[in-house]
Amino acid sequence: MRLLLPWLLLVSSAPAQIRLLARPSPSPLVTFRIVFTTGSAVEPRAKAGLAYLTAMMLAGGGTRDMTYQQIVDAMFPMAASVSAQVDKEMCTFAGATHVDNLKEYYKLLRAMLLDPGWREDDFQRVRDDAINAIKVGLRSNDEELGKEVLYQNLFEGTPYGHYSGGTVGSLEKLTLDDVKQFYRTQYSQSHLILGIAGGYPGGFVESMKKDFRKLPAGAGFRPRMVPPPFIDATRVAIVEKNTRSVAFSIGFPIGVTRASPDYAALLLAASYLGQHRMSGGVLYDRMREKRGLNYGDYAYIEYFPYGMFLMEPPPNLARHFQIFQLWIRPVEPPAAMFALRLALHELDRFIKDGIPQDGFERTRDFLGKYVNVLTRTKGAELGYLIDSTYYGTANYVPALKASLARLTRDDVNRVIQRYLRVDRLAIVAVSKNGEELKRQLASGDPSPMTYNSPKPAEIAEEDKVVEKRPLHLRPEDIKVAPADQVFQ
Amino acid sequence: MALAAQTPQKILPYPYSQADLPNGLRLVTVPADYPSIVAAFIVVSTGSRNEVEPGHTGFAHLFEHLMFKGTEKFPQAKYDETIKRIGAASNAFTTSDFTCYHTTFSKEDLATVLAMEADRFQNLKYSEADFKTETLAVLGEYNKNSSSPFSKLNEVLADTAFDRHPYKHTTMGFLKDIEDMPNQYDYSLKFFDRYYRPEYTTILVVGDVKAGPTRELVERYWGAWKRGSYQPEIPAEPPQDAPRTGHVDWPSETLPLVTIAFKAPAYSDDATDTAALDALAYLAFSENADLYQKLVLREQKVDLLEGSSPSRVDPSLFEITARVKKAADIDYVRGQILETVKAFQEKPVDASRLDAVRKHLRYAVALEMDNSETIARILAEYVALRRTPETMNKLYAQYARLTPEDVRQAARKYLSEKGRTIVTLTGPEGAK
Repeated sequence: MRLLLPWLLLVSSAPAQIRLLARPSPSPLVTFRIVFTTGSAVEPRAKAGLAYLTAMMLAGGGTRDMTYQQIVDAMFPMAASVSAQVDKEMCTFAGATHVDNLKEYYKLLRAMLLDPGWREDDFQRVRDDAINAIKVGLRSNDEELGKEVLYQNLFEGTPYGHYSGGTVGSLEKLTLDDVKQFYRTQYSQSHLILGIAGGYPGGFVESMKKDFRKLPAGAGFRPRMVPPPFIDATRVAIVEKNTRSVAFSIGFPIGVTRASPDYAALLLAASYLGQHRMSGGVLYDRMREKRGLNYGDYAYIEYFPYGMFLMEPPPNLARHFQIFQLWIRPVEPPAAMFALRLALHELDRFIKDGIPQDGFERTRDFLGKYVNVLTRTKGAELGYLIDSTYYGTANYVPALKASLARLTRDDVNRVIQRYLRVDRLAIVAVSKNGEELKRQLASGDPSPMTYNSPKPAEIAEEDKVVEKRPLHLRPEDIKVAPADQVFQ
Repeated sequence: MALAAQTPQKILPYPYSQADLPNGLRLVTVPADYPSIVAAFIVVSTGSRNEVEPGHTGFAHLFEHLMFKGTEKFPQAKYDETIKRIGAASNAFTTSDFTCYHTTFSKEDLATVLAMEADRFQNLKYSEADFKTETLAVLGEYNKNSSSPFSKLNEVLADTAFDRHPYKHTTMGFLKDIEDMPNQYDYSLKFFDRYYRPEYTTILVVGDVKAGPTRELVERYWGAWKRGSYQPEIPAEPPQDAPRTGHVDWPSETLPLVTIAFKAPAYSDDATDTAALDALAYLAFSENADLYQKLVLREQKVDLLEGSSPSRVDPSLFEITARVKKAADIDYVRGQILETVKAFQEKPVDASRLDAVRKHLRYAVALEMDNSETIARILAEYVALRRTPETMNKLYAQYARLTPEDVRQAARKYLSEKGRTIVTLTGPEGAK
């Protein structure tokens, strides 16, 4: 285990057996979700992107017997593929096939995960793709860029403190040998959770399990994670680029995951404040609907990448440490200071006033039903089961429903008081004219808002307070960095 | 039964019912195997294609926003509250040809959803102040999209390739029109009055439902909706008589993009054109195409290559887009794409490769249709084209009949130099 860092100590024995979650059904489809409970948290910072490259080599490279080109040719008539997702603690491989093609598809999937080809030309291509995913993917998506910088800043100096996709510099230095070694040491039976659903024949699961016993048994340990560092003051990172508007992400670590007794109450609080891409949340209502500041504003207690393209969070991003996050979608530059102040004002008010009884009841009813939507595909159903296995909790959907049914408004107000705050934040802004934004942030000057239509007295009154809201920022708390140096 | 069986079966695995109300509203009900959940997709056959008056682009999309502003009976807060209480996922999207309002919910809430939707389609009410505020959210949407170079590339491609047809602008509309939207309250009322009418609307209900009771609910809540009379005069695009080019200087770091587009025919399910061009996009430019394997896998000069043959109501564009790793290779890649087009015009493809595309298309549908919401989403696209899911069965029957010569003829007829538009995009470091 040369790759493990000194702080990743052996704390518990992982199960010796491969964990398998099977959901047979009369469907004509068979869905696979295969998770290795390892990820970018075990790679050293200098080798950031190693877990990512390894997974991409498996899903996007050849096997010992077939080139990647031959695999693509074989998969094409089946309309099938193998996709990979890499996060701090999980590497996930997903795919599905019509039962007509199960035998042929599984043969390819098995070879890709268990008998990789490790060709140098595949490696060059996969590494180029990873570098370009940062240079022209992430950096061309102001909102995602801001969110990833936020996570990096909050977890600096810990195993979570680098982007799972790596940095341009670290990716350029990684070699095929690094990848092979990561595979040898991390892709073990003890890290494996196999998920399968649908209309597979009898005996299939047993033979699949047997195949995966080819992997090394594993070291039988799990890394002990290092909590995020203490934040003593609010700090702002401005990522400067030539862009039309200003995107904000705001957050701080919370000691709550799905394994915590306070999870359901805090989820409800975040949903009330800003359910992902739905109208009716407090932030959405006050910022977008009442004032037209931007396209939407939401709140989160779990990592949710690429939310601009997704309505529901992808499963298998389980983490020991989560953050509370506000996502303020791009704002026209003249309104940026006001939008930031308003977001903080609303968070502040939410903490002071708590959740009203009707809002509590409405959000509880909503989540109790909405949770069904999360698992409407077989892939998602398997994903949530795998996450529950990893967290050591009961199956997510029924467990959350039961927790919600028991909750009271007081429970929610208690967790709001306990976990939420409006000071000691990390704020990231993706913006042009970074120095000018820095000056405005540090000056404390009022940022009055003007509108294109008359506003009710209540809004006008509130604006007078919001425009002067102290930000308590010293110039040394605000850093400006050009976008092309972020994740460089 | 195996999907790739010799005798082609209908692609839609579920029987559906179709009913027309006297006011022109159409209901399509598709009972599917997935329990408890229902997806209601309401398709309005109005998209950016209908924006025929200068200065008013982006209004179909603006309505996607305004439709959430509420009515007297269900003001916005009450609508939102009800959606939340029933745990529904509700949203909307707009394309060049249609606007779609969709809700996914538990089957016991079908009546609630149909009643609430009927109310807002018939009684939408918003003040001028609310209208002005919402236009800013639309500008916010333009802004958040604008950080992607693909957004700009698409804008310039549409503007360069079309002269008269409204496909000249994207669904978001021209930026100058979006910026002027706050001043267009009266026009918005006119737009709603014209297009939010039963004869433009199809309700698609998919999932744990029965046709009879669904129809009764739709008749109860939507029966009194008044038919309209407006018919837009959508200008035909004159034939293109010479190749065109465009270029975008992108202000931030990017890889160069090359799009090569050809004027292509309107969607058709009773001729081979649409099916043949769809097949061509796969054969020539998908992951298992020779060109992809050469440029992406072997030479590694390109990291993204795709061909698309959009199915639209009016003639639009067959597009091939490549993202090139080095600016110095732009000309080479463009040349390779054009040579590939020429090769498909000259020689019919192997029958076995066309068979692989046919299999791919059928299995792709089978794999996607794994929940009621996705079935509804796929059918909404077809309903927008012909107001019936049957067109999907007809198109897949065209795929089944397609010959290599059909594909070659389509390439010769439509991928012509005269009808071609090439747009490139480069960043500060990759000047042309």
